Amino acid sequence: MSEVLTTQEGPVVVSLESLPTHESDAVRRDRLRQRNFSLAVFVVLATLAVVAGREIPTWMDSGIQKWSQDRYKWSITNRQSSPVFRWFFNPISDFLAWAVEHTETLLLDLRWPGVVALIAAIGWRTGGVRSALAGGAAMIGLGAIADFDLAMRTLAIMTVSVIIALVIGIPLGVLSARSDRAERILRVLLDTAQVMPIFVYFSPLVLFFGIKFAPAVMATVVFALPPAVRLTNLGLRQVPVVANEVGQSFGATSLQQLFKVQLPLAKNTILLGLNQVIMMAFAIVVLASLLGTGDLGQNVLAALQKQQVGKAFAAGMGIVLMAIALDRISTGRTPGSERRIQWKGRRLPQVPRRLIVPIAAAGVVVVVVLAQILDWQNFPSWLTYDIASPADSAVDWVQDNLRRDVPVIGGTQAISDFLVIEILDPIKDFLLWLPWLVIVVGFAFIGWLSRGWRLAATVAICMLLIATMGTIPGGGGQIQLWDIAMNTLSQVLVAITISVLIAFPLGVLAGRSDVVQRILRPFLDIAQVMPQFVYLIPVVFLFSIGRAAGVVACVVYAVPPCIRLTALGMREVPVAPREAAISFGATGRQEMRHVQLPLARRAILLGINQTLLMVLATVIIAALVGAGALGLVSYEATTKPNVKFGQGVAGGLSIVLLAIMLDRITQAWGTRPDSERRT
Amino acid sequence: MKFSKKRTGSTRPWVVASVLLAVSLAACGDDKKEASSSDDGCKELTGDAITLAVNPWTGSAVNAFVAKNVIECQLGTPVEIIDIDEFSTWAGLDTGEIDAVLEVWPSGHAADFATYIDEKGTVIDLGLLGPSAKIGWYVPKFVVDEHPELATWEGFLDPALAGLFATAETGEKGQFTMGDPSYVTYDEQIIANLGLPLQYVVAGSEAALLTSIDQAIADQKPVLMQFWRPHWKQLEVELVEVTLPPVTPACEAAAASGDGTYACDYPVDELMKAANAGLEAKNPAAFKVLRALQLTTDQQSEIAGYVDRDGMTPADAAAKWVDANPDVWGAWLS
Repeated sequence: MSEVLTTQEGPVVVSLESLPTHESDAVRRDRLRQRNFSLAVFVVLATLAVVAGREIPTWMDSGIQKWSQDRYKWSITNRQSSPVFRWFFNPISDFLAWAVEHTETLLLDLRWPGVVALIAAIGWRTGGVRSALAGGAAMIGLGAIADFDLAMRTLAIMTVSVIIALVIGIPLGVLSARSDRAERILRVLLDTAQVMPIFVYFSPLVLFFGIKFAPAVMATVVFALPPAVRLTNLGLRQVPVVANEVGQSFGATSLQQLFKVQLPLAKNTILLGLNQVIMMAFAIVVLASLLGTGDLGQNVLAALQKQQVGKAFAAGMGIVLMAIALDRISTGRTPGSERRIQWKGRRLPQVPRRLIVPIAAAGVVVVVVLAQILDWQNFPSWLTYDIASPADSAVDWVQDNLRRDVPVIGGTQAISDFLVIEILDPIKDFLLWLPWLVIVVGFAFIGWLSRGWRLAATVAICMLLIATMGTIPGGGGQIQLWDIAMNTLSQVLVAITISVLIAFPLGVLAGRSDVVQRILRPFLDIAQVMPQFVYLIPVVFLFSIGRAAGVVACVVYAVPPCIRLTALGMREVPVAPREAAISFGATGRQEMRHVQLPLARRAILLGINQTLLMVLATVIIAALVGAGALGLVSYEATTKPNVKFGQGVAGGLSIVLLAIMLDRITQAWGTRPDSERRT
Repeated sequence: MKFSKKRTGSTRPWVVASVLLAVSLAACGDDKKEASSSDDGCKELTGDAITLAVNPWTGSAVNAFVAKNVIECQLGTPVEIIDIDEFSTWAGLDTGEIDAVLEVWPSGHAADFATYIDEKGTVIDLGLLGPSAKIGWYVPKFVVDEHPELATWEGFLDPALAGLFATAETGEKGQFTMGDPSYVTYDEQIIANLGLPLQYVVAGSEAALLTSIDQAIADQKPVLMQFWRPHWKQLEVELVEVTLPPVTPACEAAAASGDGTYACDYPVDELMKAANAGLEAKNPAAFKVLRALQLTTDQQSEIAGYVDRDGMTPADAAAKWVDANPDVWGAWLS
């Protein structure tokens, strides 16, 4: 019986599992014996780990630092002479620069009314009138608060990056949908691309592709590629077996099958991937501007250099609005967008679908022609709005009033001190006090509890690899990167806990109340896309330089996806069981606790998993407000690549390994079949 | 739904035609674009542009815009300005994507000099810019007013006085704050080798460092940090440089070898210029101007003041100064 359950997969098992099962005594005894054996193994391992002691033996140093530093040095020396550069990197670089420059020229030639019309027209085609209005309005808002021409350069970089990400990402997605092995390999690579701090690959990108647009596009592509691959893969794998079999029975070749059956059926999921690619791309606009792109992102950096928070906020809001415009026109049709627009109580006439494209295209042409004839060169000044001054006043007020003497909580400075002294320090000290192998065994044990031996092995390998990263100079001697990783781990654990504590109740509320959902949405949009640099200064002023400020920066970034996924999970719970509970006399609260929350469990755990990845992706930003640790080590790969590139690579890899380990564990919680919980 | 593909298919010629129309119309508009007027006595711009790097501080911007103004107006060579980080500047100089950078603080670029100037020879030293700069340890003035001993490093030997700088991050020890990790730093070595009860904390960015100065002044809480002059913040708040032991040959040796025994003050930075080795062949006239270009400390502060104090753009500030000082830049042309 148990064999049937464990070895077979598919719908049969589900139906069997949903029946109450009674294990025979023999089976249960067998299972208990296995568990006791496993526990015994862990006890032995833990004892050995304690005996092995505190220091990581020097033979474990993999030499990764020296290896990367040497490769870096080689690239510097040979970048003009090596054929790899001349025949591979340089043509790519020239092409990328050409593409961005021409896209920018085209956008500027369309002039601002033309760009607004173009965005609205695309929105109309993809998502209906509402998307058109939202997209157009967001673009006008962009012009109102930020420099429209600079924004066009950002838009050009984004457009080229997104297209390249799709051109690379969709075929990779197809590949990983067709081969499980490819999927496994790609998954690790994509995780790495997503979590590896961008500063680690900045300096190599500059060596390979030069400065300005080409490396900026490449950096954006690396960062934004994963959702394109993942969602294409997901979409293709979700194509029903029946559809494939029908195609086969009509004698379709594998390629015909792919283009005529699978891709069309997976279209919606792939489009969701496009949307996510765009959002990811916008998340690194500001970082990419370090490479000399001179766009809106550079505005943010320049303003911060002079502590002009308001100005930075204005440029940041410009980026947010552009992201929102592209989000709305790439989301596609949703139930809400199909509703007709009402005007003075009357419904506007619906344009037949087949006429949308010609009308929209004609509209764009008319607007472009008008803009040329009337010579609308610059965004009209009467439409602009100075958002910087009110933003500055708001920041001043917050800084003057929230730092101390706040009733009950005492103010942000007190919170900051408490976080560092009472929470972060004890956790860090504990992790550093434990012999390192004990931590490896401990996490492996957690892995085993979550998903058995296979996961335990993955976790242990990740942790052991961190131990091979070697040492770096610091504090007047050498510090093990392991110790620095434990410092980061303590910050990550605290940031995740705080994020979940904030996000979970809000997510539950938003999942149960449309009003809360609607109020939260714009804040979540802004928090997710607003360049993190913009809140760097207020965060430092409120929480002082240090780990507390770093934790806060992580929390701001990690809370939105957690709220979103919790609310989504709550909303996706089918109505039937909830109504059944009510009809049996459960109060609203009982229904929530005993029906809705348990049924939303997986979505909520997925939310925690996403929170975790967000926190790890923000560790590098935390370093910019004084959190130090691995974020700082990897940042130095960019700031002093001549000497510290190797250290940065080791630091970045450690972040990736921590992320993969924590990701696999939390993912196991989220996807664990309910039946396993009974044991 | 099944037939929708066919329908949209029939609209395709429409789309193609209108997009082509829009693009060609947009392109037509190009002709009307500014034909660079020359009624201000400037030469018309012709030929390949040269690219000057601007690093993220005011001084760097005003030098470049003064050069742009002079070269464009007097030589008729277009000058492109690129705002870029220091680390990418050298990679750009290496390939010629950047032709020159007019303000390099040598203390932070020993490795770049060794790699690009000495080993590869793709970058050349373009001589001194003129002003000197100085990195050092700074405290707000109120700290020295209250505790005059803290004007020199010996004052920090007293754990009680150093403890004034303690924060949650450092416990009993005083906090020493370093800003952007890309800047040159011997602070950890100085602290260790002078035996000071201080702990080194990296703020991570210049913005964070500047904010912590504001925070300290708002609270009248002592703060000790690595800072430098010239910097616009020095116009806004009063900072006092802490005297460190003078630079000795031993320290110079330690800085060169990186053996960790550095225990002196920071050396004075004689700001310098650097260019791609191919610039002279590419545009000899512009190369000559850039090599001759020099500003005194006072001149540079004057132009930077227009930007930092009066809120002008670097381009306007440069134009104002260039108009008023033809004799200074006239010398660069001869």
